[in-house]
Amino acid sequence: MAAEEAESTEQAERTGLGMPDDLSDDEREAVETLLYRLADDELVIAERYTEWQVRAPTLESDLALANIAQDEFGHARLWYDLLEDFGATEADLIFERDPADFRHATLAELPFEDGDWADAIVRSYLYDEAEALRLEALDGTAYPRIADRVGKVLGEEDYHREHAQNWLERLAADEQGLARLQDAVDRLLPAALALWEPVDEDVEARIDDLGIRTDSLDSMREQWFDRVLPFLRALGLDTPEGVREDPESFLPDHRGRDGDHTDDWPDLHDEMTRTYRELGRTEAHEIMPDPDEAE
Amino acid sequence: MDIEAVKQRAGPREFSPKDDLPEEYRKAATRMIQFHANSEIMGAYLERPFIRQAPSLDRKLAFSAKVQDEIGHGQLLYRAAESLGIKSREQMLDELAEGEGKFLNCFHYPMESWAEVPMIAFFVDGAAMRRQATLKRTSWEPYAHAMDKVCFEEGFHVKHGEDIMRELATGSKREQEMLQDAFDEWWPRIIQFFGPTDDKSTHHDFSADVGLKTMTNDELRNAFLNAYVPKAEKYGLEIPDEPRIRDNGDGTYEVVEEDLDWEEFFTIAKNDSPGSHEQIGKRERTQEAVEWVRESLDDWERASAGANATPEAAD
Repeated sequence: MAAEEAESTEQAERTGLGMPDDLSDDEREAVETLLYRLADDELVIAERYTEWQVRAPTLESDLALANIAQDEFGHARLWYDLLEDFGATEADLIFERDPADFRHATLAELPFEDGDWADAIVRSYLYDEAEALRLEALDGTAYPRIADRVGKVLGEEDYHREHAQNWLERLAADEQGLARLQDAVDRLLPAALALWEPVDEDVEARIDDLGIRTDSLDSMREQWFDRVLPFLRALGLDTPEGVREDPESFLPDHRGRDGDHTDDWPDLHDEMTRTYRELGRTEAHEIMPDPDEAE
Repeated sequence: MDIEAVKQRAGPREFSPKDDLPEEYRKAATRMIQFHANSEIMGAYLERPFIRQAPSLDRKLAFSAKVQDEIGHGQLLYRAAESLGIKSREQMLDELAEGEGKFLNCFHYPMESWAEVPMIAFFVDGAAMRRQATLKRTSWEPYAHAMDKVCFEEGFHVKHGEDIMRELATGSKREQEMLQDAFDEWWPRIIQFFGPTDDKSTHHDFSADVGLKTMTNDELRNAFLNAYVPKAEKYGLEIPDEPRIRDNGDGTYEVVEEDLDWEEFFTIAKNDSPGSHEQIGKRERTQEAVEWVRESLDDWERASAGANATPEAAD
């Protein structure tokens, strides 16, 4: 980091960023980019989790995963609401947005085979470990609007990780379960690497420099490897050889963050917006109190 | 206790697992509660796709929570049924997937557009509320107890359903037309929710005598019409010409029973309509697909039996 950048980081941490209207164009772009990463991931992964409603292995597991899906939708709502600070509406952000403008990582959008419960568990494990890290990196954010909301989101993440870890342990204890988990890890771990990919190198660097995020993507990825790889290996699962040393070479063809998605994403977006289009709606109606008022 | 003693004592929340009840009572109660529990599960198959298709994030969240609540109700009700000692939950769930379990007529039809959502979430749930409120006074205490929670949550669902309907009814012309079309299609089914007229109902007499049911089908249907015809009209819906609804002129209504298709109803009751096959097939396929997880859990539980390891978050 150049001396000049280091100084600006210190300054941001010291003074913080202003409220939405006070931001310069560069600052605003950085804040928005970060929020899109967060909001889109939460929305799309929750969308996949809801496919399990009334299809999970037991009534209890059905209820538990539905809880997690709703938590993630709730978080998406909090982050999209901060994007609305800049004048966008929910319709702009979700229903009328070009699918190619979504910034979620590929992990969130991938479809799964019917009954592949190992997919739900591995996906949520990889995601929630990453989620915890990136929220911790927002705990000391220079942007006050994010700072207000991080605590609430972080509070719900422990349960998600516990849920995933307990299920991993259960399934791994059984030969068939272990084989299913291994398939899911083989497929999803590379896709999860996309979580740490930049939307745009320069903007990501600016996010760090401005102190909007207190840990860089590369550094978080390292910590994520520290948590995830030993845990999976201890369960008897193989993780890709050399992934830690050279994550680049394991990345999926489509990463999502840069707007390059798998073909499954436009299909999913199409379904999500079907009613909105069918009814000829021009706005998405809010029925719950604004998060600022609900606090 | 013999059946005469049961009839003598029958009253709200009178019987619990502490009582030694005749098999006839326990079987009748099991049949009734299992039907109710199955319906909670099967309704969720119709509604789940609309979590994804909800036209706003708030609706999506509320709808996901609603579907989740219905599964939770199923869970509670299977427990209440299990406590009668006739069938285990697993047996009842197997019966459902195998097409032997019976469930509400309305959930044997496909649901294809958002405009149909309030048909279930307002009218059918509203009808269910009516029936469930009377079941707080059923004689099997665990069933009545389950109804306390179910009715509490169902109240929110009906409000949400009404709000979805209000939005469509006050929306564009197109939305209003779609709503009316959905209503035309669903209205006869909704009226049939309460089952056949009392003289065609096979199970009523006994259930009433032992306090399982506290109101007849006809009473419930009429009470529903009295409350919901005005509500439908309030939202600008036109009540279809058939089935004919008699306005008694005193704020009460009655349906002309022969205008309803009872043959279709009884085909559905046998799980034998095309929609029944479709919906039960969904249940069968989705349960079959996760059978491996249940097997794996059984292994895990056997292995850890006595090992004092019960990770709590993983349910």
